[in-house]
Amino acid sequence: MRIRKPGRTAGTVVTAVLVLASALGLIACGGGSGIEGGSSTEAEEVKLENEPTGSLTISNWPLYIDKGTVPAFEKASGISVKYIEDINSNEEFFSKMQPLLQEGESGGRSIFVLADYEVTKMHNLGYLQEFDKSALPEFEKNLTASLKSPPFDPNRDWTAPWQSGMTGIIVNKELAPEVRSICDLFDPKYKGKVDFLNEVRETVPLVMKCEGVDPSKATEADWMKAIEKIKGAAESGQIRRFTGNDYARDLTSGDAVAVIGWSGDAVQLQADNPDLEWRMPTEGCMLWSEDMVIPVGAPNPTAAEAWINYVYEPEVQANIAEYVNYVTPVEGVKPILAKRDPELAENQLIFPSASFTKNCSPTPPLEGEEELKVIKAFDAVLNG
Amino acid sequence: MRRRIVPYFLLGPGTIWLVLFFVLPLFYMAELSLWSGAVGSFEFSWHWANYSEALELYDSQFVRSFFYAGAATVLSLLLAYPLAYAIAFKAGRWRNVMLFAVIAPFFTTYLIRTIAWETILSDESPVTEVLKAIGLAPSGHVLATSGAVIAGLTYNYLPFMILPLYASLDRIDVRLIEAAKDLYSSATQSFLRVTLPLSAPGIVAGTLLTFIPAVGDYVNAQFLGGVGNRMIGNVIQSLYLSQSDYPSAAALSFVLMVLIMIVVVVYIRFAGSEALMGEEAR
Repeated sequence: MRIRKPGRTAGTVVTAVLVLASALGLIACGGGSGIEGGSSTEAEEVKLENEPTGSLTISNWPLYIDKGTVPAFEKASGISVKYIEDINSNEEFFSKMQPLLQEGESGGRSIFVLADYEVTKMHNLGYLQEFDKSALPEFEKNLTASLKSPPFDPNRDWTAPWQSGMTGIIVNKELAPEVRSICDLFDPKYKGKVDFLNEVRETVPLVMKCEGVDPSKATEADWMKAIEKIKGAAESGQIRRFTGNDYARDLTSGDAVAVIGWSGDAVQLQADNPDLEWRMPTEGCMLWSEDMVIPVGAPNPTAAEAWINYVYEPEVQANIAEYVNYVTPVEGVKPILAKRDPELAENQLIFPSASFTKNCSPTPPLEGEEELKVIKAFDAVLNG
Repeated sequence: MRRRIVPYFLLGPGTIWLVLFFVLPLFYMAELSLWSGAVGSFEFSWHWANYSEALELYDSQFVRSFFYAGAATVLSLLLAYPLAYAIAFKAGRWRNVMLFAVIAPFFTTYLIRTIAWETILSDESPVTEVLKAIGLAPSGHVLATSGAVIAGLTYNYLPFMILPLYASLDRIDVRLIEAAKDLYSSATQSFLRVTLPLSAPGIVAGTLLTFIPAVGDYVNAQFLGGVGNRMIGNVIQSLYLSQSDYPSAAALSFVLMVLIMIVVVVYIRFAGSEALMGEEAR
């Protein structure tokens, strides 16, 4: 009963493969399609118009602004704002935008908010515009002193910090009272109850600190050694999983009792579960900032600068700081908040003192070949 | 003349759709998989090493994906067959209600259903307590293990197994089963020699519909898996989105496609294509 036609099937397959191969050849010969090599031209400066008008599209992270600031800005400036919370990961956002930026387009967006290292990479690729500072008096006046000249942008010519924060440990006080350092996270007592961040530039340097290495002076070997240590903990089942903000779920359900996490998240988590607490690791924390940048091809850069200037007014920033609970980059916010909510103004996670962060490190430099190797090794651990 | 054109005319929309959204992107992806360099300096260079590196670095994730998908497919079949059988032969007036119950989960998105499983399987949940008590959770937790990923895959693709099985069982001429009984076959015999062979098209279609998407799935491993449970889909996602290594991601996708194709071709050869096509292929 079984009648097969192997000849015909094989013939069809061969023809299909030939067609595919020749088409591939055509594409290859044609070349030039798709994404081209990067143009590493000098960043051009924003060209301002007289009055900011029209509309403005901003990409930011979720829950990173209070409800009132955008409408208040719209009312004050007459600019209509489309505020999109579509950034969930620095790398992912970059990878999604990169093909557009390569063509000199920004996907209709005029402002991105991304981590220091990510905007540095974009700047090196020629994807960002420099500010025209004449429209940014509030930014010039109120940017906090410690953030005025970071190594990647010494004059703050193309980055304006949105918020800063600290990466340390978040513990459940009841279930993991003794966890006080990054090294404690490797204690077998908490096997399968520990989450690590999937951010290579935060998790790996923290583990280096546990090993007594200063991340800012780390060699490639130091990076690899720390990654090895993380790999060991992952394979033994010590680390439950690698997460982003979703460690919040594991902490609230009790599936994790100690995680590597962000300071602002902890303040918000604490409101739901008083047992959760951010702790400064005895080795010190990682300090980071996320910056507003204006990409190439950004429509209406005049309005974008008006926005940057607006959020640097202390009164405006106080509303944002009160809501997001990260470290504000704007001077003059603390006295305003002290009047509204003295407890908040005294919170070390929101207004950390110099002595509180004395052992903390900035995001270490990681570039070129070394960056590729380290990221590859770390991703191999993530993908186990 | 007119009659000859009509079939082509009817094929038109489907063909255009496939060419635009499947064949064309496939060519771009093939080209992409042969690039070399890094972001900003990518160039086309017949870089076949992308393929060998992809296989070398991620062989364990490939094996894992095929194992998880295979296990989920077998589990789905074991769960779905009795259910489909019951709906086709025993449900009576409850048939439509039961079919509706099978489809009902689709009214919620796939993502939400998977995240719900995160809660169902979390460490302190009653389900986990029971599993622990009967010794099915040796590591002390269920979530973030391979078992959780396979369970999630099984759950999410189960309807794709039930529906084709039901369709083929429902089509069986009951008189054939009655004839078997008249010829003194036992219930087991008539099932094994009449019902099961006649439902083969459903089994083949159901297993393919379950297995193929399950191999490439990454949502279940993302939410229900932990360290060491990531599937090839997760690797492709992280290569594309976190390492910006588009060429390797494209190469891996092609390798995955070819591997699935090989498995499917071997399977259909083994199971017989007429089982898939039913009566028409004979």
